[in-house]
Order: sequence, then structure tokens, then C-alpha cells
Amino acid sequence: MTPAIEVRDLRRIFNVRQGLFAPPRQVRAVDGVSFAVPPGSVLGVVGESGCGKSTLARMILGLLPPTSGEVLVDGQRLSAMDRKARARLIQPVFQDPFSSLNPRRRVQDIVAMPLVAQGDIDRATVARRVAEALERAGLSAEQGGRFPSQLSGGQRQRVAIARALVLRPRIVICDEPTSALDVSVQAQILNLLDELRRDLGLTYLFISHNLAVVEHVASEVAVMYLGRIVERQESEALFANPRHPYTQALLASVLTPEPGLGVPDVGLGDIMPDPANVPPGCRFHPRCPKVFAPCATEVPRPTTSAAGLVECHLEG
Amino acid sequence: MTALLEVQDLRVTFGGTAAVRGASLAVRKGETHCLVGESGCGKSVTSLAIMGLLARGGQREASALRFAGQEIGGLDERAMSRLRGDRMAMIFQEPMTSLNPAYTVGSQMTEVLRRHRGATRAQAVDRAAELLGRVGITAPGLRLGQFPHQLSGGLRQRVMIAMALMCDPELLIADEPTTALDVTVQAQILRLLAGLQRDLGLGILLITHDLGVVARIADRVSVMYAGEVVESAPTAELFAHPRHPYTRGLLACVPVPGKVKRGDPLGSIPGVVPRIPPGFAGCAFRDRCDYAHAACTGPIPRHQAGPGHEVLCTLDLAA
Repeated sequence: MTPAIEVRDLRRIFNVRQGLFAPPRQVRAVDGVSFAVPPGSVLGVVGESGCGKSTLARMILGLLPPTSGEVLVDGQRLSAMDRKARARLIQPVFQDPFSSLNPRRRVQDIVAMPLVAQGDIDRATVARRVAEALERAGLSAEQGGRFPSQLSGGQRQRVAIARALVLRPRIVICDEPTSALDVSVQAQILNLLDELRRDLGLTYLFISHNLAVVEHVASEVAVMYLGRIVERQESEALFANPRHPYTQALLASVLTPEPGLGVPDVGLGDIMPDPANVPPGCRFHPRCPKVFAPCATEVPRPTTSAAGLVECHLEG
Repeated sequence: MTALLEVQDLRVTFGGTAAVRGASLAVRKGETHCLVGESGCGKSVTSLAIMGLLARGGQREASALRFAGQEIGGLDERAMSRLRGDRMAMIFQEPMTSLNPAYTVGSQMTEVLRRHRGATRAQAVDRAAELLGRVGITAPGLRLGQFPHQLSGGLRQRVMIAMALMCDPELLIADEPTTALDVTVQAQILRLLAGLQRDLGLGILLITHDLGVVARIADRVSVMYAGEVVESAPTAELFAHPRHPYTRGLLACVPVPGKVKRGDPLGSIPGVVPRIPPGFAGCAFRDRCDYAHAACTGPIPRHQAGPGHEVLCTLDLAA
């Protein structure tokens, strides 16, 4: 079966100037990422801020050209597709519904925009499909006539979801879709996304820093660290048996609502990852609690097995 | 034992909007009291009202507002500013906006001690370096000369904590101190706060929306909804026997690895937090509550559900 999303050795380097006369430094935001997402499934991408997960999302959406490597959506090269065809296939839902919606347009016009941009759809069809998308996202026709400022955070995120669905895409890239929302609203939105995926056969790339959320929605999870996927496994296997020390530390940091357990010591130390200054050898070694001889000098090779992928000297 | 901070029937209004509608809570020495709720429930306004830091137009009323046995409700701005940063300190969610970008870490930290204690520059610098070390910052001398933008988010929050500790406060109010941080850094900062509390006997009022944080760090929890404390209990008791329908709904919303199967819906609370007009009577949660009945529009009794466990509800839902 053709994967819904396939990414081959994707890289993106930003040249950043720190001062007027300082030489530009290279930030390797995404540094050789490959994976395939089967249709109808959800790939969760987790990692700390600065690990490159949003850069990855923007490249898959075609909003940012890769420095090298390839993105295939539904078996077709993204770089060979025109914008309209791309929009029909793949749509985003972003984190902050306060800044991703035009405050001066009514909800129904915001949702209609992707259809109107296609250029060849008549007004009656636009109106019908907007109404359909609003209903799917759990919004009333009356709410369609409002402005985003008249809606709550959860309702605004529903508008963003309706806009993503109006072209009936196959793939939706969700970049921290619930991070700006309260927990009760987060639960509503997660339930809605899951229902839509099952009803419409959607494929999601689901980016989040909240592992508990990812565990709930994703069928497979990729853990990113400084631009690389350091571990990828089926969701259940990853949460039951994390193999990379970084995954283990991330899982240990999740504070579940269980009183009496205290706050765990994750043992990562105080060094913060800096994508402009990637350490030699294993890029995680300065923070790794299990660091040993080869880590500082040798780059670990990814070991792939039936259980998934791990990039660590302790494996294989 | 008398409480370090005692708030009784706190009310805050902004023009026609009631932000806090009769909240009571107490923080003892050496205790972490978590104030938990969703956005707009009044938890941040409560903390600002305690510190006397309400924005212009905010009106505060309370039948008691006592700090270390002293009534501070009637203190003027001068007297409050002598207390703030000295015996009661505060840290905020986003350290980048609460640190001054134009001054070095050192000059901002030393100002606190020089102003409140009249310390010399050298004494203040020594104290600042000592505290930066205490909050786990290596090379404090280097950090003192740096500007906030040169530090990572986790380091900035450590600086904020160190700054709050400059005058050995008795009470620390922390408003979402780890919300803007990565989970790995959050764990480090929370461990740091817990360690400081143990060593210094601080009373901490921690404001958060994250029930995971609450469960792991609080001694006592107060759940706020629409400007009221709807339930208050020792942490273990609250999580084991939540009585208020809102508390129960909130707990069901949190995804916990291994608890809800993938594909099964999470619990959720329908609707949104309502705006409360002045003169509103009854339970503010009734429109979203599965158990709502006629009595919910009348006065709501606050009853005891166990030792130290108070619930604001017409029903006595069994555990």
C-alpha cells in the first residue's frame, strides 16, 4: 500500500546571523529524517522545543522547501505538485487558534477560503461545503456568521479544523493542536479529531510536546532530538518499552495525576540542546544518563527491526 | 497552627464582571497549596489580589486577608510594596516578560536586596551568586553579567526563583511557573521548588491548570470554577474521592497513559466557562453539570465531605 506520507532523508538547514558582522551559523533544524505513514494511521511526533518538529511539519505541508531530501504525499513528489493540488491533499491545523484565524473575517469566510482559492468552484457549492465542514467540526450555522473574537478557544480550534476539512483532504498535519487549550476543551478537540479520522479515513501527523496526548491519539510515535528521529515505535510498544535513553527520560517527565509519587528526577542535567551547536558523536550524549565510551565520538547508526527504529550505541 | 496566609471571602470585580466571587483559602508554613482551574476561573486574579497587584479598575474586598497573623487588606501601596519581594515573593509563568530585558540578571537580582534590606552592592552580589548556585545554575558569576535573552527558558525561570528568594521570603506565590517550559525542564524546576520548600520552610501558593503538577507537588488543593473555590481537600483525598461534579469532570479529561484505551473517547465537559454577571445566584457550573437540578439556582451550601474536605455543591455525591 502506498504510504500517505513518505519522507526520505529530509534535511533543512537555516543560516542564522547572530550579529551584524558575525559569520552566519548553520542551524540544522531537521537533519536526515526518513519515515512512512500508512493511510488511516496517526504518526505522533514528540520532542522538546527546538527539536525540529515544527520545521518538519512545515516541509511536509510544502510551506518550507527542504535543503535536501524528498517528501512524497500519496506517492507523489510534493515538490512536483502545484499549490492547489497540494492543498486538496494535505491541510494543517496549527497550535494557536488566536493567531491562525483572520480576526476581520467571519467564520464562514475563513472556512470557505481554501475552496475559493481553488478558483473553479461555484458559490452554491462553496456554501454547501462550508456548511458541511462547520457541522463536521461541531459548529452551528449561526456560529459561522460570527467573528473569531466572538468565539472561545475551543470553538476557534473547531473553525481551524473545519477550514482544514473543507477541501476534503486525505492528510491533516496537526501541529500542537490542543496546546493552547484548557484540559476540558482539549479532550473535546481530541475526541473530535479521532472521530473525524475514523469517519473520513484521514491520516494525521500529530505533533505535540505532551506525551500523554500523543499516547492517546497516535498509532506510531517518532521521538525527535536535535533534528533527528532517535526512536520510532508502535505507540503501545514505545510507552511500554522505551528503548532510547532520551525517550525514557521524556516518559519519566510526564506528570500523571497520581498523588504521592512526587516529581521524578529525570537525570538529564542542565545542558540544553542547541540546534546551532550539535554535539559530535551521539547528539544526545551531553545529557544522557547512560553515556559511555563511544558516545562522544561516534555517531550511532539507526538500528531498524520489527519493533521499530532506535539510534543509540546501546542498541545492536 | 495558624496559617501563614489566610484569605476569607475574597471578591474581585472589574467593572461589571465579577472575577473572584468569595474565595477562601489558607496556606500554612512549609505547605504547598495548589489553586487549580481552567483559564478564566479567577486563579491568577486571586493571586494578584493577594499581592495587591490588581490592574487598574480592579476592586478587591475580603472579610480577612491575613499574612503571618497581620491583616494586610487595609495596607496602603507603600506598606504593601515593602512586603512584596521581601516577606512575600511571586514568580510568573513567562520569565521573559517578567524580567527586564534591558538590565543584566545581576542588577535585577541585587536591586531586591539593596532596596528592601539596604545591603551594599558587594553583599547583594554575593547573595545573588549564592542563590543562583542554590537553584542549580552553574557558573553563577557568568550568569550575573548576562542579559535575560542570553538564557534559555529553564535558566530564566531559575533566575526568577533565585530573585524571589533574595530576601528569604516566608511565602512564595507561583503563577503557572512551569507552563511555558518543556516537560523535562518542568520536572527539574518542580523538584527545585520542592527542595527549597523543604530546606527553607517556605509556604507556597502554586497556581496551575495542570492536574499532573498538582498531584505530584501539592499538600492541599483548591479547585476554582468561575471565581469560586468549589472544592478544597488534602491532595490524596481530592484525587481519591473527588466530590464536586466539576472536579470529577476535570479529572476525567486528563489523558493518562494506560488509563483510557486509544480510540476510546476521553471524558470531556460540554460547553464553556460562563461569564458571570454581578448578582448571579446559585451554582455557576449548573449549565454544564450532569447532576443539575432545581436547587442549583438557589444558595449553594458549603459542606464538609471529610476531614479538611469542603465542597460547594447542593448534592453530597458519594465517593
